[in-house]
Amino acid sequence: MKRFLETGNFAITEGAILAGCRFFCGYPITPATELAEAMSKRLPQEGGVYLQAEDECGAMHVCIGASLGGMKAMTATSGPGYILYADPFGWALGCEMPLVVVNSGRVGPVSGITGAPGQGEFYLTRYPTQGGNFECITLAPNSAQEAMAMVVEAFYLAERFRMPITVLGDQLITDGFEDITVPENEDEMKEMGFRTWPRGSCAGPNFYPFTDDLDIPPVQMGSGAGGLCSDWTPTEEGYDIEEVEAHHKHAYRLIYKVRNHRDLFNHLYEKKYMDDDPDLVVVSYGTPSRVVNTAVDKARSLGMKVGALRLINLWPFPDEHFTRKAKYLTVELNWDGQLVREVQRATPKDSEVHFLGTCGDLPTIPDLLENFEKLLKNQPLERKGWELEAW
Amino acid sequence: MKDRLEIVASGFGGQGVVRLGQVLGEAAVKEGLRVTMLKSHGTEMRGGYVRAQVVLSPKTIDSPMCETPDFFIALSSAAYNRFKDTVSVSGVILFDPAFVEEIDETLECAHRELPAKQLAMDNFGRPIFSNSIALGAMAKLLDGEMDKEVILESLLEIIPKFHDDNRRAFQVGYDYMS
Repeated sequence: MKRFLETGNFAITEGAILAGCRFFCGYPITPATELAEAMSKRLPQEGGVYLQAEDECGAMHVCIGASLGGMKAMTATSGPGYILYADPFGWALGCEMPLVVVNSGRVGPVSGITGAPGQGEFYLTRYPTQGGNFECITLAPNSAQEAMAMVVEAFYLAERFRMPITVLGDQLITDGFEDITVPENEDEMKEMGFRTWPRGSCAGPNFYPFTDDLDIPPVQMGSGAGGLCSDWTPTEEGYDIEEVEAHHKHAYRLIYKVRNHRDLFNHLYEKKYMDDDPDLVVVSYGTPSRVVNTAVDKARSLGMKVGALRLINLWPFPDEHFTRKAKYLTVELNWDGQLVREVQRATPKDSEVHFLGTCGDLPTIPDLLENFEKLLKNQPLERKGWELEAW
Repeated sequence: MKDRLEIVASGFGGQGVVRLGQVLGEAAVKEGLRVTMLKSHGTEMRGGYVRAQVVLSPKTIDSPMCETPDFFIALSSAAYNRFKDTVSVSGVILFDPAFVEEIDETLECAHRELPAKQLAMDNFGRPIFSNSIALGAMAKLLDGEMDKEVILESLLEIIPKFHDDNRRAFQVGYDYMS
């Protein structure tokens, strides 16, 4: 194994290559530009292809083309580019093309600030395209090392579920440096818990099983089996058909292949001090969770019974962590409150759910400790002008 | 080493602030430590400062933020004024008087003056080596925490040009702090 200081962008690149990715098409955007740069250097060394598209919409379409051509492909961007994936994302979901999409969040809306982290796409990664009748899988690492691992995992899930998977990071993860360990062979990959799934090729004649079955190889153009690359409702053989009964079967598959196989990814979370029924559960994901972890350590040393729940698998939302009636606090990199809404939905009726948001920078440990203490003493959180009254 | 050592370097764009953090971080990796380094620059810091926040630890690092740095390398007065109050009471502010003209005497932490720009001009006739001088000074201040030779090795690895001059500049900074 190699160990050195590098950025999350570099770690993600190495993860993709380890997972078998040999095609990248993207459009440079801070804080994912260095990812494109690293891919442009590394992929040709591995016999792969790097392409820069005219924009993000084109980039993801090109990646779908590569996937149809039998390659494991990836694209990467930030929020302003992720929204431009809306059209091809729907195509990839509907036609079941395996793909990995990396979004390094920066503060928004619109272009916002390029060099400041944000968590504004929590819901967008659940609804990255129009039309409904689908489920999405989103993985949110909190470090460069975990970003590498989650990209490998995303390729694994993309193949098995035959769909695009989003890895949601933030500017601090992709632009920040960290000591990272890169495995150099398959044994070392296994040792680090990395799992991979080979790209298969659908032999036809049926392309679509209208069931929740996994592990159906994707169609590969030129393999003799024909293929579906239309955005209309498909038949089992992959032809277009605008017909409601067929659409019901199609929608059932797109939703339930994910919902019925959550066991493949619902182990992706981290709990800290959660075994003694803490009085306050702090919920977060991504980089804020690291500050939360440090703050919760300190809170415990001060005698506060606080626990931390960090979500890595964000979608489908892991409701199973919220069965206990307790006091919850979400810590997020936004001022509008996104994760908090989902926690409020998932928790038992009459649970207390609070929200602490920051905009463009991380919360500080003294701030977190002060708010933990207030919540434990049933005092209202200090209003700083941004928390929604409802929370 | 204690559980958590925080180093902040901050100055203008182009001074090599991020490189400085990167060299210390890479040296710490070579020493078997865990490392995080956040860099802030670009439009976020328009007219302001570039900042590198380095955290070193023998254990897994949770928060990557330097909330109470043990060392603060101040390379501009804007950066000095922005971060001086965060430095730990037992911490050290290393500042270049060419950029930080006035220091805050009310602070409890220690101040160490390093005229890196002047030393670079005197020894090399070019200010570009002030960064390597600052790294040499940091190597002295980190004595007992990190190996001087490992920091120098990382510097030469990360800055592949002018090895002889950088090696000399590093020693100039180290000697100045001695």
